[in-house]
Amino acid sequence: MFKLSELVRWLGLTEFEILVNLCGLLVFTISLAFKISGTLNNVLPEVMCDWFSIFSPLFFIDICNAYFCVIVGIRMYLDSDNKRKALHRFMWSTYFLVLIAIFKYLLCLKLSGKTGLEYSEVFSPIFVLLQLVAVRACQLPNSI
Amino acid sequence: MTLAHRALFTWFIVLVFLILLCLRLDPRTTWNWFVTFTPLWFFDCILIIYVLIKFIRKWRNLNRLTDLLSLYKWNIVGVWLTITSQVMICITLEYPQQIPIYVTMAPLMLLLCTAIVYVGGKLRKREGWLH
Repeated sequence: MFKLSELVRWLGLTEFEILVNLCGLLVFTISLAFKISGTLNNVLPEVMCDWFSIFSPLFFIDICNAYFCVIVGIRMYLDSDNKRKALHRFMWSTYFLVLIAIFKYLLCLKLSGKTGLEYSEVFSPIFVLLQLVAVRACQLPNSI
Repeated sequence: MTLAHRALFTWFIVLVFLILLCLRLDPRTTWNWFVTFTPLWFFDCILIIYVLIKFIRKWRNLNRLTDLLSLYKWNIVGVWLTITSQVMICITLEYPQQIPIYVTMAPLMLLLCTAIVYVGGKLRKREGWLH
């Protein structure tokens, strides 16, 4: 449905960020499979009991992406004549990362049973992010 | 369809799916998981039609089927693995403990590996990695 370049344009993520996200998701999927099957429960009981350990690859990629975005933001601001564009990109990346991180944190709390929030409340950062993504979709040129 | 139309269509499908998922996860409904995944099935149908149209439009210019398949291998593998992953996840959620979790996760892991290879290949070509 979408080419990679179109996704980059729509979501405002670079190819590198998408690659890092995919790698993190793969590691998370493997650790989730271990957690559900209980294969490593005897070997690593503390790690396998805690949902935050299972979600750690996803938090790690958030930190990597945040570092990447800060570097790109600073370089764009210093090198480019269009400071507004650099700030705009930095703000979008910040919104994206913060909302995703909040969602993962709330999901971890919910799965650990440490909070009484409902799933609709846990998913609220994703709904906010979806609104922002919709705004970006509306800003896309009609000629492509 | 322009990029904006495709993006908004995808956005709408994801939104409806997330709403249905929230309703299903909170104990408000006891729908079948296959019903919860309806927006994604609809999206898959559109995806298949989209790939088929691309396939048929190219068919006129290429004589051999192998050429066509190699040209659209990423699209075909991507769509096939996406649908398989969704079916496996639905079956596992609907009938828990029936299928080993590794079998459920295998198509998803394969899909992610394929996506990593695809994106990595694109980046390597553009940035000249490992040259």
